[in-house]
Amino acid sequence: MAEVVLKEVVKHYGAHIAVNHVSLTVGDGEFVALVGPSGCGKTTTLNLVAGLIPMSGGEIHIADRLVNDLDPKDRDIAMVFQNYALYPNKSVYKNLAFPLQMRKLAKPDIDAKVKEAARVLDITHLLERRPRELSGGQQQRVALGRALVRDPAVFLMDEPLSNLDAKLRVQMRSELKRFHQDLHTTVIYVTHDQLEAVTMADKMAVMSGGFLQQYDAPDMVFAKPVNTFVAGFIGSPAMSLVPVQVVRKGDAVWLRSVDGWEFELSAENGHKALSATSDKVVLGARHSTLRIHKSAEPGTVPGRVYIVEPTGDVTFAQVKLGASIIIVSLDPHFPIAPDEPVFVEFNQNKLHLFDGETQMALAAA
Amino acid sequence: MSTVTGQAAFAGDPAVSPRRAGLLRRIVNHRADYLYVLPAIVVMLVVIGYPIYYTIELSLFKTPPNLQMKDKIFVGLDNYVTILRSASFRDVTLNTLIWTAGSTLFAFLLGLGAALSLHREFMGRGVLRALLLIPYVVSAVAASYVWKWLYHSDFGVIGALAVQFQLSDRPINFLDNLHSVLPSLIVVNIWKEFSFAMIMLMAGLQTVPDQLLRAAQVDGANAWQRFWHVTFPHLKSVSMVTVLLLMVANFNSFIIPWIMTGGGPAGASDIWITQIYNLAFGRQRYGVASAYSVILFIVMMTLGYFYVRALTRGDEARAG
Amino acid sequence: MTDATFSSRAITKRPIDWWRWSGRVFLVFLLLFTVLPMVWMVLTSIKTQFAAMQYPPQWWPAEPTLQNYARLLDPSNSVGQEFLRYFWNSFYVALTTTVIGVVVAVPAAYAFSRFRFPGRTFLFFSVLLRNMFPAVVFLMPLFLLMRWLGLVNTHGSLILTYLTFGLPLSIWLLKGFYDNIPIQLEQAARIDGATRFQAFILIVMPLSSPGIIATSIFSFIGAWNEYVYAYTFLSKQESMTLPVGIQRFFTEFATDWPGLMAATFLMSVPVVVLFLVLQKYFVRALTEGAVKN
Ligand SMILES: Nc1ncnc2c1ncn2[C@@H]1O[C@H](COP(=O)(O)OP(=O)(O)OP(=O)(O)O)[C@@H](O)[C@H]1O
Ligand SMILES: [Mg+2]
Repeated sequence: MAEVVLKEVVKHYGAHIAVNHVSLTVGDGEFVALVGPSGCGKTTTLNLVAGLIPMSGGEIHIADRLVNDLDPKDRDIAMVFQNYALYPNKSVYKNLAFPLQMRKLAKPDIDAKVKEAARVLDITHLLERRPRELSGGQQQRVALGRALVRDPAVFLMDEPLSNLDAKLRVQMRSELKRFHQDLHTTVIYVTHDQLEAVTMADKMAVMSGGFLQQYDAPDMVFAKPVNTFVAGFIGSPAMSLVPVQVVRKGDAVWLRSVDGWEFELSAENGHKALSATSDKVVLGARHSTLRIHKSAEPGTVPGRVYIVEPTGDVTFAQVKLGASIIIVSLDPHFPIAPDEPVFVEFNQNKLHLFDGETQMALAAA
Repeated sequence: MSTVTGQAAFAGDPAVSPRRAGLLRRIVNHRADYLYVLPAIVVMLVVIGYPIYYTIELSLFKTPPNLQMKDKIFVGLDNYVTILRSASFRDVTLNTLIWTAGSTLFAFLLGLGAALSLHREFMGRGVLRALLLIPYVVSAVAASYVWKWLYHSDFGVIGALAVQFQLSDRPINFLDNLHSVLPSLIVVNIWKEFSFAMIMLMAGLQTVPDQLLRAAQVDGANAWQRFWHVTFPHLKSVSMVTVLLLMVANFNSFIIPWIMTGGGPAGASDIWITQIYNLAFGRQRYGVASAYSVILFIVMMTLGYFYVRALTRGDEARAG
Repeated sequence: MTDATFSSRAITKRPIDWWRWSGRVFLVFLLLFTVLPMVWMVLTSIKTQFAAMQYPPQWWPAEPTLQNYARLLDPSNSVGQEFLRYFWNSFYVALTTTVIGVVVAVPAAYAFSRFRFPGRTFLFFSVLLRNMFPAVVFLMPLFLLMRWLGLVNTHGSLILTYLTFGLPLSIWLLKGFYDNIPIQLEQAARIDGATRFQAFILIVMPLSSPGIIATSIFSFIGAWNEYVYAYTFLSKQESMTLPVGIQRFFTEFATDWPGLMAATFLMSVPVVVLFLVLQKYFVRALTEGAVKN
């Protein structure tokens, strides 16, 4: 039973607040991905859980134990660092043995465990080498091995794959997922890469500016972003966000842009739009929910093609609606050229509305 | 033991760790960190802080020659006036400037030339570098005696060589001549320290990106243009630090003039440091010597300010 | 423009690289400038007193002799006794200074590199500024202080002084080495079950050994060569170190240049050997911190 619970955790660096009242619960055996832009406090949060830096406030519990005052060594955690942090003057074998030596295991036990971890990770032939004689992928395995030998209650991983090339990253991603499925240990995993988070994690914690923005299953974060930040951060390419104004025309509710175009909202969306604190809302739409028409049709808004980006399977078109740009995905065979006038249709069931003032998602009343 | 628990409790309790901890609190929070530097600080305070204070104090007193400091008499700024008014002050200052500027300039130029010539890989480069560094490593005392012998007025090899090559009709008296003594000493000083500049600049040269030099070559720059537009700008900060360190070392150098001439003949090679030493330990005029030290000290602090600035710029660049 | 450059290069084939040649000539000049005085020192040291005092000089000793060295290294005569005593004193002072200096500088440098405590920057620069102060500023008060402490004519006075003078540089050098050791290594060690202290001893110390070696050479050579304080603090013959003792030696045997050159040579041997063996570290220590990379 190794649940990790953060309660109102705060970390200051001087006047700067790197982690701001973060609370979250990582269930036993769960794989949680911590995502967010650079400098948002991911590493700091992880280091706080590890006990590497002192907290400014709050509580952290690991396996029902308050660990605020515990040394890292007493928290029963293992960590994989972004740059691996392998001891450069020790062989791979000694790197793997070090955590066991520190725990005063008997020599034969250490040997057995190191050999077993090496076998699982397929690095047996590297045991006598020094870290600098290894490739990036091999170093990564050793770093993982050093965490694995100890059989800890919680794994902490700080962007463990970010230094690998694209192909190796995909491969290691599946291997990591496989390990988690086999071991069922609690994992907190920091990453820049949304795809990693989405493919591996049971839950995703999105951070920004030291705040925890949303904590949910990846598909929920994708489908129901709580605010414009999450909406704009998750998904690739990200959701298009356009500030618009709500106008009533009799019973109907319309959205109107400063650039002049407008369209009518469905009844349900109309309700949402009206619940905003002012008449300013932000319209959000994912590229796959938008459709392009070559001629004006009811409910479409006029725009002009700005850039066409073929990627092979799908072509992305950036379309200018006045001053705002939205991204639309198209079939690669769809005929479209830059500067062509087009008409964009929003899917009423899949569009997102956010309060223009608070930036929070608007829910149906 | 109590320290550890105390600190842990401190860090753990959110109530006592407010947003902006006061300076005192931060010091208390970090008290364990100070333990690492404490030994160094204590020694420094005793051996540096106290002498500086004491020098400044003594500079305001007339001190008895028997070193019974309880008998000293307060004279205000008289010592400073005495120095600035004294006939020798101007000459000694001029000597000091010539000595410092000459040594620094030539040591730097020779070092720069050596660094540039040694930058390219060739057979025996390592050996050559090591040989050139030996004068920097040996004691200045040894250097002084060796050169004193080389300069010897009757049996000195340099004088003999000059006669041999018919540059002079009889052995030259380098050290007993008012005009040649200071340049002769400067040569020794350059011999001793040019390789320091060389080593610093060689390290600096390694930071010049090869790609940039190649790009300049492709752009049609000749060797001199490549040096001037690419290499030299990269050497600027190292050069700054090197020149400053040389200047400080030369302002403070004592051994070479002291052993070779003792400031003579007739004060022709007297510089501030030898003058101060003579005043203090030769004539027991501690008060005046202290005032002299304070003046020197102010000059050093000015140089020190630039030194630290040049250094910290490097430090920040590395951290960033 | 480009065409012209290319064609001119094609015609002259391999132009003489004047830069390279002037560099070579310059290096030869520097080499002679550096080495000839040392050569003359050695040549003189193997001459007899009579051979050295000739005009024009004997360019090559007519009857080379190791007699000067034998006399200095023979403990059974008074000159040898005296010289060996100075030698031992120098060695003792330099070694003690080095060992204590490293023990004090290592934790201080580590703290400066790792911790962000209030006043850290201030402390650091006060340490650095120490480098700028002329020795004479300290000479008088320290002399009085040593008299008061009863340390005049003891090696303790020198060790204490050299320590202070060596420490700022040692700390600065070592800090540079610690800065280059990623903090993640210590963090990893602490997660692997080490205490802070264990992480320092088991992981950081071995990685910083080049820095410790570099620092040690530096303080050893510095202490071995130091003259001003030794000259002022020591007046008793039996406690003198080499740089001071040799002077005594010189004034007593005023005209014995070959003997003096032999003594100078012997005095230089330990530092030059140390330097040649550990050159890499020495050069690194010299340039550390002044060069960005
Ligand atoms: N030791 C420190 N001193 C002062 N500020 C710090 C320190 N460490 C981190 N910070 C600041 O805290 C904030 C969060 O840093 P953190 O390393 O947690 O970001 P991150 O989310 O891991 O970013 P990245 O994705 O780039 O690794 C940043 O603004 C950073 O500048
Ligand atoms: Mg990070």
